[in-house]
Amino acid sequence: MGAGPWLRFVLMLAIVAITLVPIGVVLFLAFTPSAASASSGGFTMENFSSVFATSDVLLWLQNSLLVTLGTVFVSVAVAAPAGYVLSRGRSRAVSGYSLMLFVFQSLPVITSVIPLFILFAKIGLVDSLLGLTIVYVASSMAVATWMMAAYMDSIPISLEEAAWIDGASMFRGFVQIVLRNSLPGVLSTAIFTFLVAWNDYLVAIVFLRSAVAFTLPVGIQSFFQQNTTDWGSVMAIAVVMLIPPVAVFVLLNKYFSVGGIGGSLAGQ
Amino acid sequence: MFLLIAPSVALLLLIHGFPLLDAFRQSLHDGTLINTGSFVGIQNYTDNLTSEVFWKAASFTLVFTVVGVFGSWAVGLGLALLLRTRIPARGVFKVLLLLPWVVPIVVSSTAINWLVATSSSPIPQLFETLGLGQPLFLADPFWARILVCVFKVWISFPFMMMMSSAALASVDNSVYEAARVDGATGWQQLRWVTLPIVARSTYISWILMTIFCVNDFPTIFLLTGGGPIDATNSLVVLAYRLVFQNQQVGEGVSVAFIMTSVLVVISTLLYRQIRKAAH
Amino acid sequence: MSEFRMPDMSRRSLLRAGAGLALLGGLSACAKSKTVAAGGDGQVVFWDMPWAQDSYNKSSDALVKAYKPADGLPAASLQRIQWNNFTTTFSSALASKTGPAVSTGGGFQAFQFAEEGYIATADNLVKKWDAEGFTQDFLPGTLEAMKTDAGYVAVPWQTDMRVWWYRKSAFEDAGVDVPKTWDELVTAGKALKSKGYVGFGVGAGAGNNLGAHTMVLMMINNGGGLFTPDGQLDLLNERNVEAMEFVIRLVKEGITDPAAVSYTSDNQLAQWKNKKFAFGLFTAALDEGVGDTTGDLLVAEPLTGGHGDKVALAFGNNIMMYTNTPSQEGTEAFLDYYIKNMKAFWQQKVVNGMPVLQSIVDLPEFQASENKMKVIAEYQPVARTYGSRSTSLFAAMAQVDGGQPLAEFTQTVLSGKTDAKTALTTLEKGLSAIVKS
Repeated sequence: MGAGPWLRFVLMLAIVAITLVPIGVVLFLAFTPSAASASSGGFTMENFSSVFATSDVLLWLQNSLLVTLGTVFVSVAVAAPAGYVLSRGRSRAVSGYSLMLFVFQSLPVITSVIPLFILFAKIGLVDSLLGLTIVYVASSMAVATWMMAAYMDSIPISLEEAAWIDGASMFRGFVQIVLRNSLPGVLSTAIFTFLVAWNDYLVAIVFLRSAVAFTLPVGIQSFFQQNTTDWGSVMAIAVVMLIPPVAVFVLLNKYFSVGGIGGSLAGQ
Repeated sequence: MFLLIAPSVALLLLIHGFPLLDAFRQSLHDGTLINTGSFVGIQNYTDNLTSEVFWKAASFTLVFTVVGVFGSWAVGLGLALLLRTRIPARGVFKVLLLLPWVVPIVVSSTAINWLVATSSSPIPQLFETLGLGQPLFLADPFWARILVCVFKVWISFPFMMMMSSAALASVDNSVYEAARVDGATGWQQLRWVTLPIVARSTYISWILMTIFCVNDFPTIFLLTGGGPIDATNSLVVLAYRLVFQNQQVGEGVSVAFIMTSVLVVISTLLYRQIRKAAH
Repeated sequence: MSEFRMPDMSRRSLLRAGAGLALLGGLSACAKSKTVAAGGDGQVVFWDMPWAQDSYNKSSDALVKAYKPADGLPAASLQRIQWNNFTTTFSSALASKTGPAVSTGGGFQAFQFAEEGYIATADNLVKKWDAEGFTQDFLPGTLEAMKTDAGYVAVPWQTDMRVWWYRKSAFEDAGVDVPKTWDELVTAGKALKSKGYVGFGVGAGAGNNLGAHTMVLMMINNGGGLFTPDGQLDLLNERNVEAMEFVIRLVKEGITDPAAVSYTSDNQLAQWKNKKFAFGLFTAALDEGVGDTTGDLLVAEPLTGGHGDKVALAFGNNIMMYTNTPSQEGTEAFLDYYIKNMKAFWQQKVVNGMPVLQSIVDLPEFQASENKMKVIAEYQPVARTYGSRSTSLFAAMAQVDGGQPLAEFTQTVLSGKTDAKTALTTLEKGLSAIVKS
């Protein structure tokens, strides 16, 4: 290992340091006494202790995890086959389908949230985590499908053709050849849907009413008062909100940093 | 094949179909958030298309989107390429670089505000120390536009980095060895070897990012609210302000529809490119 | 160049999908038992906003829990609604009949929803209070502000007053007196400026209405305003032009903060805390927001305008009842209880707003705050609201107050790169599109 890697290491270090300045601010504010607090300056855990002592942050965390994991599993399960069709299909129906994805994804959430709420109220799915999960699955569907398709494009169709010649059905070809080679794509899609569900507040704030159903992004809003905001508590919850996604990244990191499947497939 | 997309189609129609029709109906009326109001035909559309505010917002949306898409793509691809090389603690860097995407925007926008808003904030202080004067990052229309775009790139590059990483994962290193034997420089390798291989994935990520940028409400709204005056007003922020603040629901929703139609056209054009780029 | 080793990926992913669906099934089961409809279980549902710190939320929860309905009347339960996007939350709930029976909310919300036909007026309740003599307890002007052609659309519970504050040490440093008139505001502003202070501290950034309130107050202060007494938009009158020319002059003299157009209310608090702002308009709770207990932040007298008017600007926070209720009698009984027992908020010092009841002003806990008592003594008697008596006009006030035209107007004026007439003409055009009737 020559000087190259270490030079790049320093470069990387500089890039990361600059990039993370705003996140440093979040951490700084989370560990600083809030403006209205009596103590001033210095490091404190008071924001965290007060948030954990007085708010239902653990309940919000649990709700957020429930909704997010539900969204991730269902989205991937629905988007993977759809992405496969988008990647391989060349028919008019597929074009129509892709157009539909564009149209639905392009309409901003803010214009659809009220009619959606009214629709969900009729079928009794408002103020429930299930209703919210369904909305998230639908609103991440187009992107999730595209992401799966983008990845599956890199898997040569020749592999499935070989399987078909061996008598495999289309579905089996998809599951056995494409899906099992799509882990990085599946993980990217999973991470995307994870973050969509994890960070959304525009839909959640309208859909969730009961304090027992609040997710973290709704709960965090309790600290926004009419003309002031309790930033210490908001930042403390923000730090709590960072932990699960970061844990996911750390756990999954090795799966997308390896060289990938293309290399081994390219020779075939 | 139909069975594979059936769940997705059913879900999309159920969740998006009704709101889409309902919103379209609203765009032809002059109602409030609750009541439909009376039918006004395409007047909301013509009002918007002849309004100066609309076109100003449209032009900022264009700038914001172009910078957002290509800025985040360039940064994301650059970092993805860098992360392919041997670097100590590569995995840690990779995780850290995904963080901007993870922080809730309501929180990161506050952090940015804290960094730049007043003359005693850190970044104006830094500029002052460096003898660069004290730019009003949020109060000056020029700087506010730049700041919003930089903020968008900051939020979006991790997504592009992830998309690029996944696509690059399928590039075989032996391709580069062959190119190097042929005497290709690093730039030539990127232009003629890497980019063509990841072309389809690149186009898809451009489409997605275009949609994200055009539809991006919180980034702008939380940082500048569309101001100062209307310097950073984008179409979706305009739609929001019309619908929820002015309660001019029909006009606001019609802005969203005009925006959506243009977006669909652009996406479709890009989608054609994808098909051309099929390997 | 390593291959992923994933034996049975397919089976596992199917299992996962199965697990996901099972999870959904589980969620669906809880969903059914938890669906909310106003009075779905016969209770009076009360929606309350997070008006102040968490201690307020706890206190109001306790107040609602302590409600013991009379025989045959429904019990009450509270749901906390967040400020973020609250118009959407209320509108979608009303449209789908899943809304509350009674709620707090935006200052003009009751007028707006009354116009849309969702409000049950408080006329019976007020009649009852008249008979009991309880109406006498309301501070002058507070209850009347809720009365429209259609009746009382709500009852007030606290007043959100716009207050001129000053930092004593800054004025001592600059060697000037605290201004009482507009002329003195200019003199003091120049002196403060030479010492590096801001003599007209405002903010009009993302989501901050305080700047817009400052503009409207300056117009009213000069004998102008947004509307004529009979409710017509009237922006280009002489007094308004003069008032806005005065503000533009303050900007050009450098008496305002050059970054004011981008200040959120938090930035304003920071500028007060950092001792940059020496004089300016804020809510009645600036000292609490800054966390200043040294007595250096004080309430100034309401300014006397260019033509001798001495006025203040107030927003009546109120509680409204909705037609969609399990029992109107039950809702009224709850509201009666709530208003008569809300003094607990001031006794426990969990709210920042000004009380609307004399009996609360008389509490020793409230009397202890000199700043607040000064607001009651000097601001309350001269307080004005935005508009006039017509419901349809009031219905549009939420859009006028929180809408784009007034916000952009404020930023235009505070940027100083305009003349008053042009800015007001644009504002009139923008507002007339909103105030259709």
